[in-house]
Amino acid sequence: MNSGYLYTIVEGFRGLKRAKFSTSVSIFTIFITLILIAILLIFIFNVHRIVSQIQARMELEIFIDNSFVQQQIDNLQQQIVRIEGIESVRFVSKEEAAEFIKQQFGSDVFKILDDNPLPASFQIKLLPSYSSTKAAQKIIDELLKLDGIDDILYRHDLLVLLEKYMHIFLIIMIGVGSILALGSIILVSNTIKLIIYSRRNLIDIMKLVGATRSFIRRPFIVEGILQGITGGALAIIFFYVLFKIVKLEIPGLILIDERIYPILLFFGVLFGFIGSLLAMRKFLKE
Amino acid sequence: MIQLSNVVAKYSEGEGLAQVNLTVRPGEFAYLIGPSGAGKSSVLKIIYMDIFPQSGFVKVDGHSSFNLKRKHIPLLRRKLGIIFQDFKLLTDRTVMENVAFALHVTNARRKNIKKKVLRVLAEVGLSHKRNKIPNQLSGGEQQRVAIARALINEPIILLADEATGNLDPESEEEIIQLLEKINSKGTAILMATHDDKLVRGKNRKIIKIKEGRTY
Repeated sequence: MNSGYLYTIVEGFRGLKRAKFSTSVSIFTIFITLILIAILLIFIFNVHRIVSQIQARMELEIFIDNSFVQQQIDNLQQQIVRIEGIESVRFVSKEEAAEFIKQQFGSDVFKILDDNPLPASFQIKLLPSYSSTKAAQKIIDELLKLDGIDDILYRHDLLVLLEKYMHIFLIIMIGVGSILALGSIILVSNTIKLIIYSRRNLIDIMKLVGATRSFIRRPFIVEGILQGITGGALAIIFFYVLFKIVKLEIPGLILIDERIYPILLFFGVLFGFIGSLLAMRKFLKE
Repeated sequence: MIQLSNVVAKYSEGEGLAQVNLTVRPGEFAYLIGPSGAGKSSVLKIIYMDIFPQSGFVKVDGHSSFNLKRKHIPLLRRKLGIIFQDFKLLTDRTVMENVAFALHVTNARRKNIKKKVLRVLAEVGLSHKRNKIPNQLSGGEQQRVAIARALINEPIILLADEATGNLDPESEEEIIQLLEKINSKGTAILMATHDDKLVRGKNRKIIKIKEGRTY
């Protein structure tokens, strides 16, 4: 076996052991950043989940022309069902509507009025992928082309508002996340620069005996990645324990799914890798 | 094998090389003699291409400063053995590890490393101290470890930068004898020193350098 690769790995671990303090600082930096990023992700994930739930619950209510007879209503329903993006159509008769009012408000419309003024309606559920305002508007346009529709009730304003704030929210979160990531990378890079500086003797000797630049670089990059893995693992343990406790305390509260763990590890490795790469680049520039 | 022709390498006022010409042929033992600050270390750096001439050129075993690519510098250095006044050993590793280091970092095959290291340690007379760390050795012994490391890749030339500058007279003599022995086996040696005494009475090639000029 070629001794180079083994050397790289061994030196990487050796480096961690030798520069205990710098290494700890670096790992801690990655750990804290990952926690902050995880909190961001959890926040985004949960806000997104809530918004999606609201969107999914959005229904269109179509009021049918009072003069329509059952045959016409059935025809209309057939036409509506054929429109793309509609998950289900439920017919609500005048009587049902009156019953609903009675349940909600406790008063019988027939006691006040002779006639039932409530129109019959369709309650339309949209497919999840059609729940955005843009898609919903297209469906509404289609519906408006049909005969016999008196009015369409759609809580458009709320959705528009939600979507708008969701966009702004996401942009802010991505911005904050990027700043955090950048800060972490710079800190890790500086720590590794210190480690490299403390081992310039080693690097000088490597250069003298004819080690290539990439060979000199490798153990430091391995070191960076190991720091990233350790920081990531600590963050994973932290959140695993935290979620366990929170779930025990507040049963039924779903904070986040387990996809967060590989993401944390990935970001940890990424920060360690980029940090060490940057540090080496500056140091090996001749 | 080594040729410096009209090399100029000035990096700050009064420092560096003004005009250097020298050749070292295969198997030759040459001394580069001059006072401190004369540019001896710079000449060696030009040879192992740590610095490049601003004008003139250097040729080392077919590698020329004119067209050498940066990525080929490590390959050139593997053909050279370099030792210094301060030994440049890794103080947290044993003698064996220090010597093996030069093989590890040049991707040598693992199974050959131990055999080679033991052979070269025997050559410099340090087999019995192979498991010591540098701080447990005398100055002369440390320099012998550095020589062993320089020899492990079977260089065409050994460059010695004031290699005996930190040693007592006895150790100095031992190192010189060791270098003579290495030279007798065919490895060329270029030894930079400020010490005239070292060359007295020896029939060796002498290159004098002063204020960055050889003559």
